[in-house]
Amino acid sequence: MSLLKVIIFALALLRTPLFLVIAALALISFYTADIDISVVIIEMSRLADTPLLVSLPLFIFAGVLLSESTAPRRMLHFSQLFLGWLPGGLAVVSLLVCAIFTAFTGASGVTIFALGGLLLPALLADGYEEQFSMGLITSSGSLGLLFPPSLPLILYGVIAEARIDHLFLAGILPGLCMLALLAGYSIIKSGPVQKKRHYTKQNFTAGLREIAWELPLPFLLIGGIYGGILIPSEAAAVTALYVLVIEAFIHRDIKFSQLLPIMSKSMVLFGGILVILAASMASTNFLIDQEVPTRLFEYIQNYIDSKYSFLLLLNLFLLLVGAMLDIFSALVLIVPLILPIANGYGIDPIHLGIIFLTNLQIGYCTPPVGLNLFLASYRFEKPVTELYKSTLPFLGLLLITLVIITYFPLLSSVLISLFG
Amino acid sequence: MNTVARNNSEADTSLVCSLPADRGIYRFVNRLEDITLSLILLCMILLSCTQIFLRTFLSSGFLWADPLLRYLVLWSGLLGAVAATGQGKHIALDVLNRQIPEAIAPWLSLVTHMFCCLVSAGLAWAGIVFIQGEFEFGSTGPLSLPLWFWNSIFPVAFGLITVKYLFLSFLQLQQIFQLKNVQG
Repeated sequence: MSLLKVIIFALALLRTPLFLVIAALALISFYTADIDISVVIIEMSRLADTPLLVSLPLFIFAGVLLSESTAPRRMLHFSQLFLGWLPGGLAVVSLLVCAIFTAFTGASGVTIFALGGLLLPALLADGYEEQFSMGLITSSGSLGLLFPPSLPLILYGVIAEARIDHLFLAGILPGLCMLALLAGYSIIKSGPVQKKRHYTKQNFTAGLREIAWELPLPFLLIGGIYGGILIPSEAAAVTALYVLVIEAFIHRDIKFSQLLPIMSKSMVLFGGILVILAASMASTNFLIDQEVPTRLFEYIQNYIDSKYSFLLLLNLFLLLVGAMLDIFSALVLIVPLILPIANGYGIDPIHLGIIFLTNLQIGYCTPPVGLNLFLASYRFEKPVTELYKSTLPFLGLLLITLVIITYFPLLSSVLISLFG
Repeated sequence: MNTVARNNSEADTSLVCSLPADRGIYRFVNRLEDITLSLILLCMILLSCTQIFLRTFLSSGFLWADPLLRYLVLWSGLLGAVAATGQGKHIALDVLNRQIPEAIAPWLSLVTHMFCCLVSAGLAWAGIVFIQGEFEFGSTGPLSLPLWFWNSIFPVAFGLITVKYLFLSFLQLQQIFQLKNVQG
């Protein structure tokens, strides 16, 4: 049987869908333990008891719709008008727009593909060095994963059974801290080279009118949840309907003939995540049944007794995972194993979630295999090694925020104690 | 989602990663999937928003709406996964593929498709056993329909995934022989 498992692991490296790899291991494990294999499906069917799950397809749909519309272009134009005068204006604008865009689409690939093509030429035209510009876009491709309503944040909530409104609050300050450090660096790097533009009052009103429908969206979402009007899954439905109405009926960016493929595409993306989640429900159940997390905890405790050294080890491990796995599979596979161990060390599940996402986000742009690097190399037609070099300073800054986020739990918890 | 990342390696025509989208039966299946998935999504959005409207303005709501919504999520996700299978859009690791020699890559692709076929068949079987249990002892779900009906999406979806992998394996095999003929 262990030979079989080795073969399955080998197949996993050959582009076999991850959910089938996990399902195969679960089926074999239950079968060899003389447990009826229908348990696998019983575990999967427990997903129907997860009220939070409904927010995933709805937010995915809203994100796909936004990225297929001209909203990214309008968002960029608007931010340029209002923030372009700042030192390092366009660089800071790029960071902000990427962060907001990623928060809504939840996928780093989408950000680099949808915004990279707009941002890179604009940055170069404003006199930024090519290396700096590419590094900026590559590393901000996953910026914003900590801001509501990011999908990985919701997925963590689903897996860890943590309160999603608390997770949303917890991510805000760490996310802002990351944004501030990167913005500071961009301002220092930009120097006096950039051209100054002059805008008239008409420009401003036109820009404002262009974005007037999308602008209230974040406030609607956050206000709705924390004003006690909507629970997160309802906020997702309202967001989906709102985005559908503005992009298809008001802006008419999306024609009716495009709507069907877009809806179907969103559900395909959701399906890919759901089956991994379903398969891992079964395999996790088996691991917990075999007391694997408990034994792992006891084993680790022999070597590490302080919470802080455990966190350090966790960071290293997660950076590695983040560089190899995509964020959804990483969350689904690793969280159930780590959560009980972290609990043993007295780490708050919400704080753990923020640490997880920060690590996985950084892992995306960590050489040699971080996904953002390959996406950017593909998008900008540059060798990946060149992107290693250009992302390095940003990577350094992100690692500094990681240290801050990990060792100052207050950053994640202060908003919860104020508003939660 | 790393499905975007894989497009660049799919230029290799000797590998079958997805079912053709525009030929005969495949076209019909694609259209059917698009429509079904879109309808479920629209139902979810409208049902959810109606509930909010009813609660906020009329302080009422449908008791069956929330459980129904949760099953619709399951249905949309599993049927979405069926569609993802045909489009080659499942989340997968792409670690070794760049290093594999061209000569054996199609064969390895055939092996993975067949493996996937086998595992999804196993899942479909497990689903059937599960539904049998539900059929005998299960209770009633949303819209007064029995729970086994709502859960039957598991064997159905995994069954369809099995069929799709069967087709993918077949097409890959065909591709291998075509290549051989061209070379021979």
